[in-house]
Parts: sequence; structure tokens; C-alpha cells
Amino acid sequence: MAAVVEIIGLRKKFGSVQALDGIDLTVDPGQVQAFLGPNGAGKTTTIRCLLGLLRASAGEVRLFGRDAWKEAVDLHKRLSYVPGDVSLWDNFTGGEVIDLFLSLHGSKPDRGRRQDYLRRFDLDPAKKCRAYSKGNRQKVALVAALAATSELYVLDEPSSGLDPLLEKVFQDCVHELKEQGKAVLLSSHIMSEVEKLADQVSLIKAGRIVFAGPLEEILRKGKTLEELFLSEYVERTSP
Amino acid sequence: MTANFFRLMVFIARRERIASSIWIAALVLSSVGLAALYPGLFPDQAALDAMATTLNTPAMTALMGPVYGLGQLTPAMAFAQQCLAWFAIAAAIMNIFFVIRHTRADEELGRQDMLAALPVGKLATATAVLLSALILNGVVALLSWALLLAVGVEGTTAAGAAVYALSAGLQGVLFAAVALLAAQLLSTARAAAGLSFALLGLSYLARAQGDMDGDVLSYVSPLGLGLKVEAFYADNLAPLAVLAAEALALAAGALVVNARRDVGAGVIPARPGRKQASRFLRGPLGLAWRLSRNTCLAWAAGLFLLSASYGAVIGQLDSFASDNDMIRQMLEAQGGAASLTEGFIALLCAIMALSATVPVIATVSRWRSEEKRGRLDPVLARAVPRERLFGSFLAVAAAEAVCFPVLTVTGLYAAARPTGLVDLGQLAQAAFVYVPASLAMAGLTALAVGLLPRLASLAWLLLAYSFVAVYFGPLFDLPKWAARLSPFGNVPQLPVQPFAAAPLLALLALAALSAAAGLQGLRRRDIA
Repeated sequence: MAAVVEIIGLRKKFGSVQALDGIDLTVDPGQVQAFLGPNGAGKTTTIRCLLGLLRASAGEVRLFGRDAWKEAVDLHKRLSYVPGDVSLWDNFTGGEVIDLFLSLHGSKPDRGRRQDYLRRFDLDPAKKCRAYSKGNRQKVALVAALAATSELYVLDEPSSGLDPLLEKVFQDCVHELKEQGKAVLLSSHIMSEVEKLADQVSLIKAGRIVFAGPLEEILRKGKTLEELFLSEYVERTSP
Repeated sequence: MTANFFRLMVFIARRERIASSIWIAALVLSSVGLAALYPGLFPDQAALDAMATTLNTPAMTALMGPVYGLGQLTPAMAFAQQCLAWFAIAAAIMNIFFVIRHTRADEELGRQDMLAALPVGKLATATAVLLSALILNGVVALLSWALLLAVGVEGTTAAGAAVYALSAGLQGVLFAAVALLAAQLLSTARAAAGLSFALLGLSYLARAQGDMDGDVLSYVSPLGLGLKVEAFYADNLAPLAVLAAEALALAAGALVVNARRDVGAGVIPARPGRKQASRFLRGPLGLAWRLSRNTCLAWAAGLFLLSASYGAVIGQLDSFASDNDMIRQMLEAQGGAASLTEGFIALLCAIMALSATVPVIATVSRWRSEEKRGRLDPVLARAVPRERLFGSFLAVAAAEAVCFPVLTVTGLYAAARPTGLVDLGQLAQAAFVYVPASLAMAGLTALAVGLLPRLASLAWLLLAYSFVAVYFGPLFDLPKWAARLSPFGNVPQLPVQPFAAAPLLALLALAALSAAAGLQGLRRRDIA
């Protein structure tokens, strides 16, 4: 089956700054690809190229085999996105924002599903967005993304600000997506979350992929993900 | 490229249901309301002609725009000459805020990312905002047209009202397009709004220069061009066509840039900020000043320009006021037997003091807005006593109250010096006598912020009341105690009234006591 996400040799320059310097990444259906790296390494830039928000300076970014920049609108009907830092419109209620996103997505309105996710994430949709805490704004974005029918879920640090109970709900949701054969690209800083969810792991450092492989392989070598992460990023003092 | 733009327009309309309704009502009612005043201001042809003679001087032309149709003036023409430029400026301001709010501001906050990750065309937002702006201006123009006809001031014609309303509406659309382009070029909402307002200001200056010298600059400036319709007289359509074409070209340019650029990026990269805090910023006082700086400097520039432009008209005052009952009544109420110039200075210094109090109140209430956004928590979580931090805001406010009269005096004196009508010492006394009133306002604001934080905005209400009581009180024959309720109403209006120390000392005591009470209250209450 064709890859859902296919990024080959992606480079992105901002002025004289080389933000991405040759990124390769694939996500297949039914697979959770974890995307790890320190702040500023280029995770969000890669995701924004994938969403057609940024135009690649070089390389290929393909979704469902089609160009992510040129065919962004059509492709976006088949994906859902959750940003890490959710900013919403103060004078809208959470429910209004969710409905706006669902209607723009074009998926047929499924009240039951929306209701179901609201209940699972314990979100009061009648509150104005200005009254939401960071965690609650994050929940609005999660419900809007999960309640839409998509084939790819792009989640950029989606669980930041969630408490442990909701973190568990979120993990259940991702498992369900996987069982349904959906593709998930998950950028995260929470190593325990990634160990529970991911099939594949890619580590990015200063705009390059420095490690890519199945999670099983790492764990089989007796390493934890955190050890792998720290060994890649902590400056080595010995020669 | 514009997929789903219609849904976005509905979304914009929902977000705007309150803000734009207020703008529309304020714009239309103030414009039409002014028109309704004209027959009363200029009851006969002689009054109209006299007013036109006064306005037909270089200084007044620069301020208000050119006079046309001399000798055949109607109240409707006089209204259009004096009010269209301001109506158009207000419409432009509304459009700049509107466009930036829905484009760069959303982008800067990252909301645009969530929308753009949905099946929404690259140009959908820009298209939706442009068409919404078109509708917004269309509504303003249509309502103005209809209400102008309904009011039916002498000389009103359907065609004249139409070119009047369309001229303002099209200038609004033009500045919507300017703001849209600025939002593509610059990567922050503040910078984009700043560039748009700078262009609006430049357009006003170009018009002033062009109208004064009768040269091509007034055609280059959209504000100048908009006045060339000569509403209710020539009713020219050509300027409207040019404005529409300019707006279209700018909008097209903005869309082209928008289609090519990255979401979140500007064409002109943001200037990198300081790597380290300056020595001055590293303390509560530095923080308080830094948070107030931009508002303070903007008001300082505005006050200086306003004072200078008033200074420029002082020479024409006698001829102007002797022909205008309302103005004369106002000045005489101020001055009694004193000369018109002295009455004018007293009135002007009162208005300038009231305006200069705006940044003073803003600085003190800044505490409240920072507090509500939770931004004081991390500051107060450090070794900074509340009193010291709030005291810093009060110190900045007090410094503003003391320094602003300097600008009023220098601006007015610099422009009025050639007439030889203004005495520097007398002017300085008239301006500085209001400092205790400004300080009292700062103290009362501090009192509200400290003791009644939820009602802190009452300070603005008191300032608005002061303006009405001091400015319109004499005109409407309000009782004396009405003005006394405001700190400003207790100030001796130099040079027409005799100096009196007692009320000034009382105001200073009020300032000190209320500030101290506010500080006490702040120490006891929750930060929330």
C-alpha cells in the first residue's frame, strides 16, 4: 500500500537560516510514526511543510502520493491536525470552534461522535475560549481533530497541558485510530507516551534525521527511548 | 485557491457581529449627526460666506481641506467640505483594524495554522476578508446616504449624498487593501497596523501640503483625491473611479504576495530584538516605563502636532469667531471680558490637559490589564513587593502628567509665535496649572485599581465626563457644580480667571491621599 506521508530530502531555508537540512520521513496506514527532537530542531517546521503552510526550498513532500503544497486544499479533506500551542478566538465557545473546524473540514456532521469525544475528554463546550485553560484549549483542538473522519492525523505535541487521566484517554484514542488503519504522525516530548504508542521513531537534530527505526528494535537492545534520546543529544565529552 | 472562502466570511461576520456593528453605528451616526447641526450653526447665507472666507486660508485649508463653490454655499456643501475628510479617516481606521484583526493577528497567534490545515484555499482568508470589508464599507456608505437624505439639510441632493458616502466608503476599501498588503509584507500584526497607519498619516500630510499649495500632491493622496468629488456641488465621479482602481490594484498585489508566501512569514523579515535587557529595564521602574512607552510616545507626538495646528490658526481666530455664534459663545463663556485669544488659550489648555491625561490613566490602569492576563504573577513571584511595582507605574504616570504640558506649550508657541499674539510665560502658566488635576486623576485611578479592581475602568468614565463638563458645560449652560465634580473643573482657567492656590493644593492632596489608599488596598487584596 502507498505511504500516506512521504518526505524525501526536505530542505527549508528562512533567509540565511537553514532550518531543515534533508529530512526523510514516511508514515504508512495503520502506523504511528513518532517524531522526536529537542525544541528548535525543526519538528514543527517539518509539520508545517507537510500541511502546505510552508513551501519547501528543496525536496519532496507528498501526502497520499500528491504534492503537499500544490494540492493542499484537497489533501486537507483527508487529514486532521492538532497544534501544540492552541490559540482560539476569545468570544467563541469551545463548541462553536469545534463546529467551525468540522464544517470547514467537510466531513459529514456526526453529532454522536462529537458528543462522544466531548464526554471522553470531559470538555464543557459552552464556555467561551477566553475562559479556557491551556489544557482545555488543547482539548478543543483534539475533539475537533478526532471527531472529523480522516485518514491521517498530524499531532504536534498534542498532549501538552493534559492531566494524566486525559493523557490516558488520548492514548486510547490513538490506539483506536491505529486499529482503524489510520496513519498518525505524532510529535512529542513525552517519552513514556511515545513508548506506549509508536511503531516507528524518527529523531531530528538541527534539521536532520539522526535516527529512524522501529521502536521494537530500540527496546530489544535493552535501551529505553529516553536513553537513546539523551545519547543522541547530550554533548559527548570524551573524544 | 479560495476554497471555502464563503464559510470563512460567515465566520468573520460572526466574530464581527458586535465590534463592526458599533463601528458602523458610530461612523454613520456621528457623520449624519454633524450634518444635522449645520443649519443651526450657519443660519443664513452671510454666516456661511463668512465661514467660507475664514476656511479659505492656507492654514485652515491644510487642516480641513479645500473650499469649493464660494458664493453659492449651502449648508450641505459646508458640511461636506468640513466633514468628509474626517469621515474618511475614521472609515480608514476601522478598515485597518478590521483587516489586520482577521489576517496577520490570527496568523501571529497561530490560529491561521489550524484553519489552513483544513481544506481551505491559500487565498480563502484574504478573499473572505476583502469581500467582508467591501460589504462593511458598503453598509456604511448606504446607511450614510439614506440618513443624509432623511435628514435633508438644505442643499442636499441624492447624487451629492451618494458621492459623499461613496467617497468615504471607497477610501475605506482602499485602506482595507493597504492593510491587507501590509499584512502580507510584515510578520507581526503591530508592524502591519503601524505601516498602514503611517501611510494614512502620510496621506493626510500630503493632502494638507497639496491643498495648501494647490498642487498634485492632493491627487496622489487618497484622502485628497476623495475630497475632489466636491459633494453637493460638482459631484465628480472621476475621483471615485480612480479610488476604486487603486484599491483593486493594491488588493490584487496583496493576493499575489499572499499566494506565494509561507503562512506565518512576512516578505520583510522581522527585525531581531535585543539579546539582553538594557540596564534600565532590569527593575520595576524600567518594566513600568517599557509597558507604557509606546502609548506615551504616540500620545506625545499626537499632542504636539495638535497643539501646533491649533497654534497655526490662532492668527485667524478673531475673524473666525466673530462670524460664528457657537464658537464665540464658547470662548466668551471661558473668557468673559478678556480677549478672544486669551479665551482660546484657556480653552485649548483645558482640552490639551484632558487629552494628556489619557496616557496617564492608561499607565496606571495598565496594572489592571496586566493583572487580568496573569502577567503580573511571574513578576510578583520574584522578590518584588507589590507596592514597589505599583509605585513604579504611578511614578511613570506622574512623570507623564508633568511632562505633557511642555509639549502643549512648545507646540502651540512654535506655531503661533509669528502672530505675536501669544505670551510664552502666560501660556506656560495656563498649561501647567492643570498638572494637579492630571495627578488627581492618576491618584483616583490608583484608588480604583487598588480598592475596586473590577471597576477600574470608571476612571475613563470620569475623564469622559470631565471632557463634557469642561468643554460643553459653558455652551449648554450646565450648572457650576456639574464642572466641580471633575478635578479639571476646579482648576483656575488661566489667563482669563485669576490664579488661586487653594484648589490646586486640594487637588494635590487628593492625588496623594487616593494614591496612598490605592496602594494600601492593593497590599491587602488578591491578585487576580
